[in-house]
Order: sequence, then C-alpha cells, then structure tokens
Amino acid sequence: MKRGLNQILPSAIASVGLILGCLIVQPVFAEEKTPASAPPESASESNAVSASLVKGSLPTDDPTAAVWNTAAQARFPMSPQVHWPNRILDATVKDLNVRALHDGTNVSILLEYADPTEDADDAAAVEFMVGDKKAHFAHGQPMAQVEGGPVNIWFWRNKDAKGVDMNAMGFGTLKIQEHQDVQAKGVYSNGTWKVVFTRPLLTGHLEEDTQIEMGGFINIAFAVWDGKKDVSGGIKEKGSQKAVSSWWNFRAEAPPNYTGYYYAAIAVGLAFGFQFFLIRNLKKGHRA
Amino acid sequence: MKGALVTPVIVMVVVYLLLKFVVPNIPGSAPLPFSVIILYMMLTLSGIGMFYTLSKDSKDAFWGPMERFLTGENIGGMQALRWGLLILFPLLVGWQTYSSTAVSDQPPGENRTIHPAPPGEYAGLSNPVAKTPDAIQQGKGFYAAYCSPCHGGNFDGKGPAARGFNPPPANFADPTTIAMLQESYLFWRIKKGGVGLPIEGMPWKSAMPRWEVELPDEWIWKIIMGEYDGAHQSPRTWE
Repeated sequence: MKRGLNQILPSAIASVGLILGCLIVQPVFAEEKTPASAPPESASESNAVSASLVKGSLPTDDPTAAVWNTAAQARFPMSPQVHWPNRILDATVKDLNVRALHDGTNVSILLEYADPTEDADDAAAVEFMVGDKKAHFAHGQPMAQVEGGPVNIWFWRNKDAKGVDMNAMGFGTLKIQEHQDVQAKGVYSNGTWKVVFTRPLLTGHLEEDTQIEMGGFINIAFAVWDGKKDVSGGIKEKGSQKAVSSWWNFRAEAPPNYTGYYYAAIAVGLAFGFQFFLIRNLKKGHRA
Repeated sequence: MKGALVTPVIVMVVVYLLLKFVVPNIPGSAPLPFSVIILYMMLTLSGIGMFYTLSKDSKDAFWGPMERFLTGENIGGMQALRWGLLILFPLLVGWQTYSSTAVSDQPPGENRTIHPAPPGEYAGLSNPVAKTPDAIQQGKGFYAAYCSPCHGGNFDGKGPAARGFNPPPANFADPTTIAMLQESYLFWRIKKGGVGLPIEGMPWKSAMPRWEVELPDEWIWKIIMGEYDGAHQSPRTWE
C-alpha cells in the first residue's frame, strides 16, 4: 500500500521544504542588510527624486504648470560650500524642493527654493556622474585611492535665461560642451525661484552626458547661488561660493511592467500541477 | 498512528523556544537573527525526516497520516482544512514569486565603512607636538576657525554648515568616533580629507576638505589635541 508514497513523498516533501526554506530565508537575509543610504534626518527630507512618466507634453517652459503637482516632491537640505577654497560659511538657500517628470524621451527637473531677492546673477545647477565611474560631488575632483570619472553639470543663470551643458573633472576644469542638450527656464515669484531643466533622457554622448535609463537609479546633486549684490557691488555668492547638496538618488520611472504577475501566475500553475500529480500518484499507489 | 506526527511537532516547537528564548540568555550570547533561527529549524526538520525514514515501520508511521491527509481518504472533518491547504499553498508560492520579482522603489543599498583602514605610512605615527596647555589652546583656536563650521563648536558634528552633508560630519563627543581611533588616524583623515578615503569609505560623498593643501602638519597635530580635549575623549593607544 505504501509503495507509491515511499517513492515519492520523502523527496517531494524535501523539495517543497527546500523551496519554501529558500523563499523564506532569502527575503529575510535581504531585510538584514544595512539600510539604503543614510536615512534622512527628518521625515520631510528625502533621499531620492522620482521622475513620474506623463502621457502629454512636458512643461519644459512652464515651472508653474499644474502638471508639476502630479510629481512627488523631494526635499534636500543644502550646506554652504566649505569643501574647498574659496569657501562660504553661510549660504542663502537652506533647502531645495525637487520634482521631476519625463515622457519616455525627455526629462524635466524642477528646482524650487526660497530666495528673498531676484537678482541677475541668481543661478542654479544640477550635477550627475557620467558613465560607470564614481565622481566626487565637488566637481569630480580626483580621489586618492579611487579612479573617478567626470561630472555633467546643467547650469542656469537668471541673466542668461538658458541652460548650459557642462563637464568638470577637478577644480578649474569646468568646460562648456560642444553639444548643448539642456534647456532651462526660471520664474521668480513671491520670494521663490522655480527653475526647470529639460534634456533628452539619452543623448548618445556617452563620455560627456549622463544617460538616464528608465527604472535605474543614478546619482544627482544640486547647487544654488544667491546673486545678490552687496553694498560694495560684489556678488554675494558666485563661483565656488554657493549652497551645495550631497549626492542623492534620481530615477525616471519605468513604464508599467506586468511581468511580475506573469511569473506569479506561472508559479501558481506549477504549484497546482505539482499538487495534482503528487496526489494522483499517491492515490495510484494506494490502489496498487 | 497520529502519535507519530505529534512528536516531530513537539520537537520543532521545543527547538524554536530554545533558540528564541533560552540561547539569548546564555551568558556571552546574543539574540539570534531570524534568518539563523530559520536555518536551525530547517536543519531540525531534515534531522526529523532522516530519523523517521531510517526503518520501514517508522517511515510508514510518519508518512501514513500525511498521505491520508493529502489524498483525502477517510479524514472526515479534516476535508475543509485539506482543501484550504491545497488552495493556499499555490497562492503562497505565487505571492512569493511576485514579491521576489517586483522592482524595488528604494534606491540601492550602500554599505559605507565609516572608519576604513588608513594607508600603511600613517600607522603608528605619533603626535610630534608636545602636549602643553598652550598647544592645546592653539589647536582649539584652529579648530574653531577651520573645523567647527561643520563639526560644531560643541564637537558634536552639528555645526551650522553641516545640515546638507551626507554622510554627516563626525560627532567627536560620540564615544564611537575619535575615542576609538589613534591620533595617527585623525592625522590621515584631516590631511587627506574625504577624497583620501579608500573605495569602501565612498570618498565621492565626503565633504571633508583635504587640509594638507591649506594647513601645515604642525597645525593639524595641534587641532587633533584640541579636538580630544574639547570633546573630553582620549586617543586609543595600544597599551
């Protein structure tokens, strides 16, 4: 009577046990890994910007468009640039709000920050790493023990009223690119700057531009200059004297992906099939 | 026959209780991570399986009730439970598959080493400046001018320029920072700055300046004395 059972059941139960064991242990191990980059100090601070996928056209020329409200807002603290001379010990901008949208071809990034005065030299920039090499957030300056790569900087200044696409790999190496792929538009209202940068997700210039693959995380950093003139006519923040952020994360949302549901359906089918054949063979064993 | 299944269940429960509540209380032990408990439970289960399949009689006694339950023959009121399990198991497998293939919304994790090993040439360097009240006072003055904007006037890492930086500036009053390090380690970190870190320290994220381009070595050694004194900590020594 037990022939069928003796042949099938021990190995079947061992397999199921092993599969369940792997399924249980694997996510548990994953949970025990160190949490993703340092948690923000307060709940209102973020560690990533997520660009939502929109169906219509991007508000590339309109930092105040209603569609921006559909994008999640990330908030990053800013520090005065103290890393290298010439330093500044107190910068005007303390926090930066960032939203982003993309349409599968272009990406628009909106920076929003408080600045009490509108000045011709007010400026803002977004920075990315280029390629696979890590780059130091301060202009991709050389690192002693790690071979670094360049940074790609998108720069906007009020009086220029345009975006500038640049590269740097160390202090004093800032260079305007031959291919200008970035456009920018700033609007000042009620003590707040809203600046939107737009660029194609992919540009084909792999050595100079960051390439934004949908669904993948890349690094992003920010800088802001308060171009206010002081009594002697000098500009409060210019060049290396600015508010800066650390590296954070950026991702352009991938289009909806249903493969997880397909895999789950296949797994359910396989599990039902396994049960069906197991029980059928057991019943055959009984009758034998 | 049912007794054959009761013993393994009791064994599993007892092993679990031992791992969860008894082992952590053994002096010198610590609570076991869930993954380790699961691993031990799987080993116990394999052991039980091997034990019951040693002889034909014990095997029949062990598998018999399970087989009857699975085939649904003569199990009376257990039918509902049987159907429940037969439906629940595939759904559980499907759910596990879905959650393991789902794309995470979280940025990739980063394991940054906070105090990576210094280059060999810094190991064992001792502070060449005599530890006099004057030197300490001078060091505190340099600290106030160059370090306190980020590391704070109270040596707590909360200076006015610190808020935007990730990783945050070190808190010297915390007993897990400079109190665990030698003076030579601080000399390396101040002199070479964030960009001097090895790859596991993620040098591309650190805002610590490379002070060797701005300050003479003697000032750096004095700053180290001022830091330990101001933060009420002592350097780690080999004694």
